[in-house]
Amino acid sequence: MKISKEEVHYIAKLAKLHLTEEEADKMTEDFEKILSNFDAIRGVDVEGIMGETFKTTEAPHLRKDEERVFEDKKKLFQNTLDLKEGYIKVPKIIE
Amino acid sequence: MLWETIIGMEIHAELETKSKIFCSCPTEFGAPPNHHTCPICLGLPGTLPVMNQEVITLAIKAGLALNCEINLYSKMDRKNYFYPDLPKAYQISQYDLPICKDGWIEIDVEGEKKEIRINRIHIEEDAGKLIHLEDEPNSLIDYNRVGVPLIEIVSEADLRSPKEAVAYVKALKAILEYAGISDCRMEQGSLRCDANISVRNHGQKELNSKVEIKNMNSFKELLKAMEKEEKRQLELYQFGEGHKVIQETRRWDSGKGRTIPMRSKEDAHDYRYFPEPDLKPIILQEAMVKEIGDTLPELPHEKTIRFKGDYGLTDKELEILVGDKALATFYEATVAKAGEPKAVANWVLGDLLRLLKEKEIDSYAIPVEPETLGSLIQLVDEGRISGKIAKEVFEEMFYTGKKPLEIIEEKGLKQISGEAELEAIIDKVLASNPQSVEDFRDGKKQALGYLMGQVMKETGGQANPKTAKELLEGKLSS
Amino acid sequence: MTITIDAIKSAIEGGERLTEEIILQFYKRIEEREPEVNGFLTLCRDEALERARSIDQKRKKGEKLGRLAGVPVAIKDNISTDGMKTTCASRMLEDYIPPYDATVIKKLWDEDAIIIGKTNMDEFAMGSSNENSAFKVTSNPWDTKRVPGGSSGGSAAVVAAEMSVMSLGSDTGGSIRQPAAFCGVVGLKPTYGLVSRFGLIAFASSLDQIGPITRTVKDSAISLEVLQGHDPMDSTSYKGEASSYLESLEKGVKGLRMAVPKEFFHTKGLDPEIADSIRASIERYERLGAIVEEVSLPLMEESLAAYYLISSAEASSNLARFDGVRYGYRTKEYEKIEELMEKSRSEAFGKEVKRRIMMGTYALSSGYYDAYYNKAQKLRKIISLQYQEIFKDYDLIISPTTPILPFLKGEKTNDPLEMYLGDIYTININLAELPALSMPCGFSKEGLPIGLQLIGNHYSEATLLRAAHQLEQEIGLKSPIRKEEV
Ligand SMILES: [Mg+2]
Ligand SMILES: [Zn+2]
Repeated sequence: MKISKEEVHYIAKLAKLHLTEEEADKMTEDFEKILSNFDAIRGVDVEGIMGETFKTTEAPHLRKDEERVFEDKKKLFQNTLDLKEGYIKVPKIIE
Repeated sequence: MLWETIIGMEIHAELETKSKIFCSCPTEFGAPPNHHTCPICLGLPGTLPVMNQEVITLAIKAGLALNCEINLYSKMDRKNYFYPDLPKAYQISQYDLPICKDGWIEIDVEGEKKEIRINRIHIEEDAGKLIHLEDEPNSLIDYNRVGVPLIEIVSEADLRSPKEAVAYVKALKAILEYAGISDCRMEQGSLRCDANISVRNHGQKELNSKVEIKNMNSFKELLKAMEKEEKRQLELYQFGEGHKVIQETRRWDSGKGRTIPMRSKEDAHDYRYFPEPDLKPIILQEAMVKEIGDTLPELPHEKTIRFKGDYGLTDKELEILVGDKALATFYEATVAKAGEPKAVANWVLGDLLRLLKEKEIDSYAIPVEPETLGSLIQLVDEGRISGKIAKEVFEEMFYTGKKPLEIIEEKGLKQISGEAELEAIIDKVLASNPQSVEDFRDGKKQALGYLMGQVMKETGGQANPKTAKELLEGKLSS
Repeated sequence: MTITIDAIKSAIEGGERLTEEIILQFYKRIEEREPEVNGFLTLCRDEALERARSIDQKRKKGEKLGRLAGVPVAIKDNISTDGMKTTCASRMLEDYIPPYDATVIKKLWDEDAIIIGKTNMDEFAMGSSNENSAFKVTSNPWDTKRVPGGSSGGSAAVVAAEMSVMSLGSDTGGSIRQPAAFCGVVGLKPTYGLVSRFGLIAFASSLDQIGPITRTVKDSAISLEVLQGHDPMDSTSYKGEASSYLESLEKGVKGLRMAVPKEFFHTKGLDPEIADSIRASIERYERLGAIVEEVSLPLMEESLAAYYLISSAEASSNLARFDGVRYGYRTKEYEKIEELMEKSRSEAFGKEVKRRIMMGTYALSSGYYDAYYNKAQKLRKIISLQYQEIFKDYDLIISPTTPILPFLKGEKTNDPLEMYLGDIYTININLAELPALSMPCGFSKEGLPIGLQLIGNHYSEATLLRAAHQLEQEIGLKSPIRKEEV
């Protein structure tokens, strides 16, 4: 499986990562190596196998519709970078 | 050339649960910013979602109310995208196996009935709210809404006009309200609609590029936005600039009265859906679905049939009344108190609706009790006050919440039924209107109306109309 | 006598030692050994001593003490501790302090354990050597030029160096077992769901599992009894009855059916010293009365691909929340919010983390989902079924934990693929959600520990621990680092 540098840049954009040209070159190289190894997977016969039903042996675990409030708001937002009158302040977001 | 408009709708409805979809934070609207949050809905590292069982129940209810097939095996998926209103950078939603599929509802546009197919209903979590400050380099985030449970109802592109789109959303809203699935308060954002709209030549098979319109917060806005977008696209095609209609997302700006392209959607979106590994699939039993179906209350179309039969209301009356669950409930409670279904309908659809509109009060917050309106109607019926006074009393009731008798007492609005008292007034009216008396005696019966009016005027509207009329007629014919 | 949970507990309960003295002694040991080992990212001496004193108070008042009373525990730095930094060894979370405790941490507190610090790891648990930590490289206590393994390298090293009695690690593809093997300690990866993941900062949600690292199998059994149990905060948590492991520990292995997959010994790159040591252990088991048979369990290279695709895909999504907007690292210079996110992530994540995010994003992106992620999930199912087939006839599977001995620092940092191949014996266990334990079974000529892996069927930890305990007794391995009595 060939992968182009453009593709690597596109993936980086999706992943919100910025790669320098040098990093992109290295990443392209790594990708090729890893993916060529992983391409083995494409040949495996998976006919009739349901991958998604992996954990169906148990019934889903559900929660009762009950309210509980996390009281210590100061602690809750202790890591928040910028708090303003209860709001989380962030650089301008353009819609 | 004949043109055809194609509209499909995506409706997001907040489910009426006490707590959020994956954590125990309250869903209640209007709390201080970020007050209804916890490590889970803030997506703090290490936290995990646990599904609220009421969400499953309500989603199934919605499916049944909208004639859907319920998938006994469905699952949650992650929809990945970066946006600051999404604290985990993914929304837990449903992708290829939604909980409900293949439904339909009936809409009625000016007497014409039409079936609109529903493609699917899926469960998902709401995002937070962004506040953009004018002239400031910052935006603010309030995560109170993040994790509030939603269902997204996706219709087929069966709607053929902006009016049909409005009728569809109205019908859907009524059903969701009746079934107790969502409170559907559009102004609070608990019912939000997005529309996909395109136009094409009549007879053309394939669809032209569709445009997604967001941010329509009332039926009025929805209608306006659809009409504006329809016109915009039509004009582009008609002026040979059809290539300018591109698949994009546009925001309805109600202030400017037009749709505007949304810049954040410029990126080609690749949501990288995959099954949510933190949650197990939703596996349902047929019996459970049936049990939930049995709890469905009377739905709008059933109510329409019953109201028509029991109360003899007109189609127009039914449309307004049944279309608004709170109003219908109020109506029925009032009829239970006062009888007189026709009179109650007149009050509810007349003065009550007018005042609600004037004061911009929603029908679920009607400030009058059904009992009080009932007793007012009874007072009129018993002839203890006139219809005119009743209107005055009703307004007072509406603003103050006082009981009718209390108001009548306070304002001295009691009816003058005493014959002696009335006789004196009538004599006075007759004496000062000799011409009318003569007209009446000459056979101009309409003069009676004028004289009655004068009597009412003289008594400040407090004369018992029945007694007054009898006395007046007696005097004139003697 | 080596320092064990039992020894500490009985010393405290019998009033021979004060908890405070014991904890002080461990901090003294940390002072001596830590400069060389570098196993900790955070120490919490004051809190630990305060806790110790409160346990002494409790004892004085005659109150019942918890099952881990006075036992020092070190926590991998990806498990959330209320009020104590939890960094995942990443610049991204360098200053992050969780506002809540992971479920396993609550369980430790409930049993009067004493948390002494947070341990180093590969950044976000991605790696097998601890060289991917943003802050320091932990050394293997047996040879400090070598790596302790990873990603729970710090947790394994501090137990091996007797700086802690027990530690918590997390295992996504071998991250408890491989460092346990490298450091000559016992590492247990429970059945998926047996121990709550609530509070564990996710790497790959469908594979991650918390487990204990201890010096003896018995300590591992005690630890698991404390850690396990259904958690309503974790939807994937096991709802069945919690088993007890201690009572069956001494039952012996007579008649136990053990499978040895022959392909595991034909893997290219398997160190012959490791192969020999495992074979010697197999003979011991036979002498103890177990029935050991060779079976065929093809180790598909494809399973390595399935593992890396699934784990990277999930990681790309799990790590997306770290964007510098709300908390964590934020870049200094930016104009628009997109730039803030991109720069923060690019500056704060290490190379390996970025590589896996990229790989996972690629595997999930439209056009590749079916070819990679979906296919990998199906392959996962096939692997799981293969193991189920073996467990129809056998109670346990024996294998090496890793094909290689602890390697030198810097030896394998350049080739990610070669590093990934070191996980060949461990990843399938996570893919199949099985329990497995790594225990020391001998030493190389150079004196480096060798790990043996026992694999059980779902929720068969009792059998696993019993068999491991019997072998441990038979081998009678001593800790040559230092024999110190409590
Ligand atoms: Mg949606
Ligand atoms: Zn919450």
